[in-house]
Amino acid sequence: MIAPEAAGLKMSLRPPYRPQALRISLNHAGVALLAALGVLGVVVYIIKLITAWGDRAEWAYPTVVLMFILSTATAAPLIAYASRMAKGYWALPLRRVAALYAVPSLLSFVLLIPIMASLPPLDGRSTLWFEFRAGAPFLTDALALAILLLTGMALLWFSAVPDLAGPPSRVRAMGRWQRLLFLNWSGTARQWKVLRAANLALGAFYLMGYAFVHMLLTTDLGQSLLPGWRSGIFPVYSAVTGIQAGIAITLLTAALMRRFSPEAGRFIGDEQAAALGKILVAATLMWFYFFWSDFLLIWYARLPSEVAAMQVTVAITYILPFALTGLLMFALPLALLIFNRVRQSLSLIAGVSALIVVGLLFDRIRFFVAPMANPSPFGHAMHELPAPYWPNALDVLFVIGFIGLMVAVFVYAASRIPVLNGWEMRQGAMLRKERTFMKTHVYVIGKPD
Amino acid sequence: MQSQAKRELLALYEEPDQAADAVERLHSAGFEDNDIEILSSTPYPEGAFGEGHTKHRLFAFPFAGAACGMAVGIAWIVGAQVSLPIITGGKPVVAVPAIIQILYEGTLLGAVLFTVLGVLFESRLPDGVGLYDDRISEGYIGISVMARERRLPDAQIALEEASPIDLLSKEGSLMHAPGTT
Repeated sequence: MIAPEAAGLKMSLRPPYRPQALRISLNHAGVALLAALGVLGVVVYIIKLITAWGDRAEWAYPTVVLMFILSTATAAPLIAYASRMAKGYWALPLRRVAALYAVPSLLSFVLLIPIMASLPPLDGRSTLWFEFRAGAPFLTDALALAILLLTGMALLWFSAVPDLAGPPSRVRAMGRWQRLLFLNWSGTARQWKVLRAANLALGAFYLMGYAFVHMLLTTDLGQSLLPGWRSGIFPVYSAVTGIQAGIAITLLTAALMRRFSPEAGRFIGDEQAAALGKILVAATLMWFYFFWSDFLLIWYARLPSEVAAMQVTVAITYILPFALTGLLMFALPLALLIFNRVRQSLSLIAGVSALIVVGLLFDRIRFFVAPMANPSPFGHAMHELPAPYWPNALDVLFVIGFIGLMVAVFVYAASRIPVLNGWEMRQGAMLRKERTFMKTHVYVIGKPD
Repeated sequence: MQSQAKRELLALYEEPDQAADAVERLHSAGFEDNDIEILSSTPYPEGAFGEGHTKHRLFAFPFAGAACGMAVGIAWIVGAQVSLPIITGGKPVVAVPAIIQILYEGTLLGAVLFTVLGVLFESRLPDGVGLYDDRISEGYIGISVMARERRLPDAQIALEEASPIDLLSKEGSLMHAPGTT
């Protein structure tokens, strides 16, 4: 049994433990580097907007970044929801960390607009929208992503209100709208109940939106731009591997929190690694399951158009990114995660998580660069395999800068909103006690609702 | 003649057991769950203080929103079909898979928006609860009771018997403890 961190069990209820936001300073080398990367991300984005508006191939690598964000930052809040649904107390110190990723997820919308503007007309190519032209795919996809992002922000804000509102006298001194934003918070039994219900309802909607957005964008930015690529499994593959990477980035963040935030570090430990590690193993196996299900069917059906698409994303054109993906998202993580010692150590599993996150980037390269850079997306089959479209210097800067911007936005959000969910952790401390059972110690956990 | 208007008392307790005792004494004195409110800085399991089931209508909001959102989706689809001047021999212009996607999107949008509005609506303070004390956010548990003028002494006795650290009315502390509002 991996014991929870002692600080989490001995939390004070009077005065109540109140988590603090991260204290960051530009004097810290890491923060300064992130700030520089963030500035770089903004600059290259503006350069792309000015020099490449409407040029689809120029937006191929930004599309990779978009799908990377949707598969890491946007997937992470699902961990907060899933652990609430399953009443997993081990995740209490991670719920806010995961939910905070809703803030950098907003960057995906900034990327989506110019990418959607560069897409060719729907006529003459495979599309999810058939003959529907009233706003598809621009409006439909943007609206779907907006719903997902709104839900993520609502989840984050509502769960943070009890930690941010302060004493009732402060809330009552607020203006009308600000007071409404803080849910008129005074800690009545009714407010607590509504808050818990809202977290569950919005979490469910977030999961529904997450799957839907992956279905739309993997099709509109992927399959419908590469003639012959027809896969019902790919949207699910994208969503599931996103969850794998969402877990990985949460573990990675947790390890960094423990290292660099003395306050959060008291509560984050190997218990989180042991619990999330099991799910990460399952998600790693799912990577292979969905890849193989997709691959096997097409490879043995031998339809020339479908085989050609598979040759682009797997076997020939982007074989290098595919090989790196297989190695970093499946082979190495599986080989390492089968050992308890790796799975139950936050430091070690953070290393495996880093491999998965890097692997995901190559995975999105092999899937989305070819369709976005494809000069002839019309028809139902490719006449010849396209040449690989490797990144130029601006693309490399874009990928580095925008992912750096994503991390910088996360750190900034964590410096404004406490990185621990104080009220849930206090409740967890109240309902989880260590007891002696015969000659050993066990944890007695109360799960009232 | 005594006034029939309700007035509020707020008692502060150090320990949850004292607060539960206060709720029990209030029930014994004839006060109903609707008259009693519990305030705390940490969520306690429902019923921990012996209070009744707290009702809210949050779950109605997503359903209402989903219905409205679906209606918008249907209007979107119908508008798309009507605005396309294509003779299709009676078949729909828009294919069923596209229809389902639009309906899903509209329904989800409505459900999310109405849930957010529902949280804002349901989070208003219950009518009549006006007293507060910042010590609640310091971990003390507040038990608020609404009582008619003639029943105020009964409420005060019930709350005092559970050993509060302070007892407040609109006029101020009834226990003359320091640091009260």
